[in-house]
Amino acid sequence: MIGHQLALLQRELWEHRSIYVTPAAIASVVLVLTLAGQVTVSAFGEGVDMAIVGASNVDDVHRRMALGGFLGLVTSIFALGALIVTIFYCLDTLYAERKDKSILFWRSMPITDAETVISKLITAILVIPLVALIAAAATQLLVLILSSIWVIIQGGNAGHLIWASAPLADMWISSLIVALAMPLWLSPFIGWFLFVSAYTKRSPLLLAFLPIFIVPMLEAMLPGRSHLLFNAIFVRTVKAPLFNVDEFSWFSDDKSFSMAEETISMIGSLDLTRFLGSPSLWAGLIVCGLFTTAAIYVRRYRDESY
Amino acid sequence: MTSLVTARNVSKHFGDVRAVDNVSFEIEKGKITGLIGPNGAGKTTLLKAVLGLTDCDGELSVLGLDPFKQRKQLMQNICFIADVAVLPRWMRVSQLLDFVETIHPNFDRRRAEELLGRTKIRKKSKVRELSKGMVTQLHLSIITAIDAKLLVLDEPTLGLDIIFRKEFYGNLLNDYFDGERTILITTHQVEEIENLLTDIMFINDGRILLDQPMESLANTYVELLTSGENSATAKGFGPIFEREVFGKSVFLFEGVSRDKLEGIGELHTPSVADVFVAKVKGAEA
Repeated sequence: MIGHQLALLQRELWEHRSIYVTPAAIASVVLVLTLAGQVTVSAFGEGVDMAIVGASNVDDVHRRMALGGFLGLVTSIFALGALIVTIFYCLDTLYAERKDKSILFWRSMPITDAETVISKLITAILVIPLVALIAAAATQLLVLILSSIWVIIQGGNAGHLIWASAPLADMWISSLIVALAMPLWLSPFIGWFLFVSAYTKRSPLLLAFLPIFIVPMLEAMLPGRSHLLFNAIFVRTVKAPLFNVDEFSWFSDDKSFSMAEETISMIGSLDLTRFLGSPSLWAGLIVCGLFTTAAIYVRRYRDESY
Repeated sequence: MTSLVTARNVSKHFGDVRAVDNVSFEIEKGKITGLIGPNGAGKTTLLKAVLGLTDCDGELSVLGLDPFKQRKQLMQNICFIADVAVLPRWMRVSQLLDFVETIHPNFDRRRAEELLGRTKIRKKSKVRELSKGMVTQLHLSIITAIDAKLLVLDEPTLGLDIIFRKEFYGNLLNDYFDGERTILITTHQVEEIENLLTDIMFINDGRILLDQPMESLANTYVELLTSGENSATAKGFGPIFEREVFGKSVFLFEGVSRDKLEGIGELHTPSVADVFVAKVKGAEA
């Protein structure tokens, strides 16, 4: 069974190359920009000294925050990339195989429709985020190595300025938690997209997004003016119980500068207990399960494809 | 003889349309059965039911399994090629072999590579880079390397040129068929396959019009070419179909002994295509 599932996941990576091409492209851009930045700054002889002196004069907490902020920015670019890849992947994966009729080949193999659709769900929920996470971590390491080389060439102390100040462990552990948790939080959308992909005869993108906007609008027009679906759809996309929003205020609030070093951590801003205890999370997972089941059902029972 | 496929009163409706209408038949092990019928006759629906791709009413057992409910087990012992080239176009030949090797318990990779070695197909190529004929060759090579009990072919050579078509059926007989395996094949180019069939079934409007071994076809059906007064005599024997060719009448008889017809005109063994036309037109009349 596990052998089958691995073969199916391998197949998704063969077919949907955007899963690793997109992070690779983002990594290249980030690295090129890093190098370009270093070359540009190096052109101003005095500026370089100022930058290094400046970095050396800042206290550890602020240097840590600055580097952490930069690394966090890199992670979020990869996260955004993964989000876009996931949307297009989910909408394409069960649609394309019907469009080119290769579904007949896949269904001639001794695999159930459930195994196949679940491999696609695992790809969306686990594989895409993890590939993006690994690419993000590798990019961060490379950026730091490139920066160290540059600092050393400029006569600075890379060990102190960069490696002692880069909150790598904090960054990576928190990113891993976010990469594992956020797809679960957004899983009702993933399930919905997979279902649309299995169901629609044309334009899956349109069919997937129209109801997301129209249904809450209709809901608001109905007597009672309920906002249940509006909350379920839109609030979910912007507000996850994983993030401890109060702790985030150090980002903008001046008072935070007086915070002790140990509180400035990404992990500290995550609240796993609240996340796992949130009824919204489990309700979302059930919705995802229902849509996935519907996608399996459609793939199995509809035979117009042949 | 063991029966691989047993259908009893199998029907499939699409709304009011009966695509398959109360059909019963058996396919025995080691046979090559041709399922012949015009477009829309219910051939594909019947094949889909056999392959577990669609459900149906009545009793249908394939290799002792319920094809719709036990599709996964069934697919370990059944292969099929559909009328469209369905191999995933983005896939490389090597990836295809890797995938089938992991998924299919009865796949012999070395055999597949040996068969592919005889063709111009390279393992690095993507399916989309291959011609339609080569895609079919590739599919047949993979299927030949799977030790399946039943092979179902739905118009496998549609759109291929004559060279590929001949080669396909040649390979099917030489490499695939070993007397143990069983093949169910549909096509509307009957002439091309009638020499390799052991059994033949006609289907029209969802009903089976004929189901018998090829060798008995010549005993059951006889064609008579005659003209003038003899035509009237011929009609007395109850031909199932009559047509005019160059001012002469051609009658087709079913179950009328040749002895009775000798002397009325020239006797021929009709081609499968002629019997087919007679049965379909005769059923409509």
